[in-house]
Amino acid sequence: MTGHERRAAAGNVRIGVLSMEHVHARSYVPLLADLPGVDLAGIWDANPERASSAAGGAGTRAFGSVAGLLEQVDAVVVTAPNAEHRDLVEQAAVAGVDVLCEKPLATNVPDARAIVDACERAGVLLMTAFPSRWNPAVRTLRSTIVAGGLGEVVALEGVNTGAMPDIHAAWFVDPARSGGGAVTDHVVHLADLYRWMLGSEVVEVYAVANRILQEHFDGVETGGLVSLRFANGTFATIDCSWSKPRSYPTWGGLSISAIGTGGAITVDAFRQRLAVYGTREAGISWPDWGPDSDRSMLEAFVDAVREQRQPAVTGVDGLRAVEIVDAAYRSIEAGEPVRVGSAGG
Amino acid sequence: MTATVGVAGAYDRRTEAPVDGRRARSNDRSGARAIRRGSGGDTVSAQLRAGIVGTGFIGETHLGAWTAEGVTTVVYDVDSARADELAGRFGATTASSLGELFEAVDVVDVCTPTHLHAPVAIAAAKAGRHVICEKPMARTAADAEAMLDAAREAGVRLLVGHVVRFFPEYVAARDAVLAGQIGDPGVLRLTRASFRPRQPAGHWFFDHAKSGGIVLDLMIHDLDYARWVAGEVVAVECRSAIVDRPEAGVDHAVAILTHASGAISHVSASWAYAPPTFRTAFEIAGSHGLIEHDSAFTAPVTPYLLASGDGATTTALADTSLNGDPFRHELAEFARAMVDGTPTRTSAQDALATLRLALAADQSAHEGGRVVRLDPAEAVR
Repeated sequence: MTGHERRAAAGNVRIGVLSMEHVHARSYVPLLADLPGVDLAGIWDANPERASSAAGGAGTRAFGSVAGLLEQVDAVVVTAPNAEHRDLVEQAAVAGVDVLCEKPLATNVPDARAIVDACERAGVLLMTAFPSRWNPAVRTLRSTIVAGGLGEVVALEGVNTGAMPDIHAAWFVDPARSGGGAVTDHVVHLADLYRWMLGSEVVEVYAVANRILQEHFDGVETGGLVSLRFANGTFATIDCSWSKPRSYPTWGGLSISAIGTGGAITVDAFRQRLAVYGTREAGISWPDWGPDSDRSMLEAFVDAVREQRQPAVTGVDGLRAVEIVDAAYRSIEAGEPVRVGSAGG
Repeated sequence: MTATVGVAGAYDRRTEAPVDGRRARSNDRSGARAIRRGSGGDTVSAQLRAGIVGTGFIGETHLGAWTAEGVTTVVYDVDSARADELAGRFGATTASSLGELFEAVDVVDVCTPTHLHAPVAIAAAKAGRHVICEKPMARTAADAEAMLDAAREAGVRLLVGHVVRFFPEYVAARDAVLAGQIGDPGVLRLTRASFRPRQPAGHWFFDHAKSGGIVLDLMIHDLDYARWVAGEVVAVECRSAIVDRPEAGVDHAVAILTHASGAISHVSASWAYAPPTFRTAFEIAGSHGLIEHDSAFTAPVTPYLLASGDGATTTALADTSLNGDPFRHELAEFARAMVDGTPTRTSAQDALATLRLALAADQSAHEGGRVVRLDPAEAVR
């Protein structure tokens, strides 16, 4: 019996979480526990204590083996370190379990392609976790562009900068497990949004990076600027730097300036926030009161699983973003623009 | 600084004698012309007589700043009616030729179209006059080099109006960097977003051969600032596009710079925004800190008046009325340098290096984003 047949019998969509190592799992787990029509069926983590602690907090089971959890669910959310996505997704696919995989889909193009292929072969749904596609400000920009409200889009400038994620987990800055630094971490969101807004593929990438920011650390790149050229002629840039110091009042942000023949539109996706001034020790914080894109994304995934239809963001979207990251690293190495391997393919 | 308009007074154009008798002028034409401090003026710039060549947007802006500084001004423009009109408005006099202007002033302020900076500046230097030149220094690097040579041979000062170095927010950010507050600069993002100057088709400003387009005119402000904060640039990639009025040329450009220090900069210059937008923003990320600025959030006065149009002028300019006029700071500093040799925060060599960077960015944009390398040794030649 496949996962889908089991789910059909049970009513609610049963979802498991594979790994708590990505910081986003801490956001997804309580949301999944809260979503109507969803049973948070269990959590597996390579570290049993971490699995138990997360499962206890969410009122669900901890699993000691991936296979054990896969037997009990219709779908999984994969929030392991980037380099471990492929193994976990392949196991889920073989078990007939649908997958929502954290971004970036993989740390290299062959792994990302293998993930897409494995899910296709097994006939399971694969969605890449790009929650910014559900940010209402971003969606407003996209719908304006699609409706022709900006005329012909000639340029996009985006900023997706943040704190250095070693504050969450050490693996983020270990290239063997993360795939790289700021370029790996932050290019994919805007690259995906640009593709989605333009309906065009990136054909050429120029990127520069350095390790000046976050002087407490010496390893992967902490600063990066990326320039993309799309098949339709639009050019776009991304500041992906880990440029927010620890004193910054929030994690970071995502903003886009879109330039078209109709003028310009600027979007600050996380502008809806308060400024809270606490004690000297607590300092200043900017709590976000805007809509929760993670929740919307999880709802969309659950709906796709329930209705067994292609999710709004596909595995191929995740693969394309990984190809752009790969091209960015090749460009950094070459000091020149490089072509994207399978542009438009 | 106290303006001393009355003390500086007018001068007699026919005799070139200062009518208040308190300003002395050297007649030595062979080398540097000493401008002796007058006894009456209590500001340095009030001892100068400035000749403004060109009465377009920047000429008028400079005339206003010189006037506020109490400097006696003479105006020349090939359009004598325009010169008369402007001079009348600011209490300046006019000259009927460049030669007459050179004879009448201590410093020549070149506010002509960009491609004419070099011939006017060189002629002024050869006449033994100090030269202030609006940015960009010249249309080509060869022109700028010829200006430097002419100034050197004549022993006169040559300074270029990179006015962003006098804007208080940009100065404060650089001061914070120099004080070590954010550590070493690593990633800079510099943005200048406005609308295309409202000039008719055929205006020199829209002729790339004369103005150099948006990269040489607008982006150059931030290219200069990037150099000022993060040092010389060794590689530039630039893309550009035409958003509106194709006959008027490129109106949006984005460059990515690699500095010799390893720092990287994202520089965006746009005339693609709707009037009356004039927004400047920057972020300087350093090894242990971050500086943010966005003019959209720093306007101390925001009018919400029912009876007003879009508020756009011909050419957008930052509202500088609430914290001193950067143009006035700039010209006062330049004037002081010319009177007593006080160092300035920008030199002609600096301006040439910035021009080389802008020309490289423009070349990259014209070649579809090819990465253009610069020799940092040449920048400090």
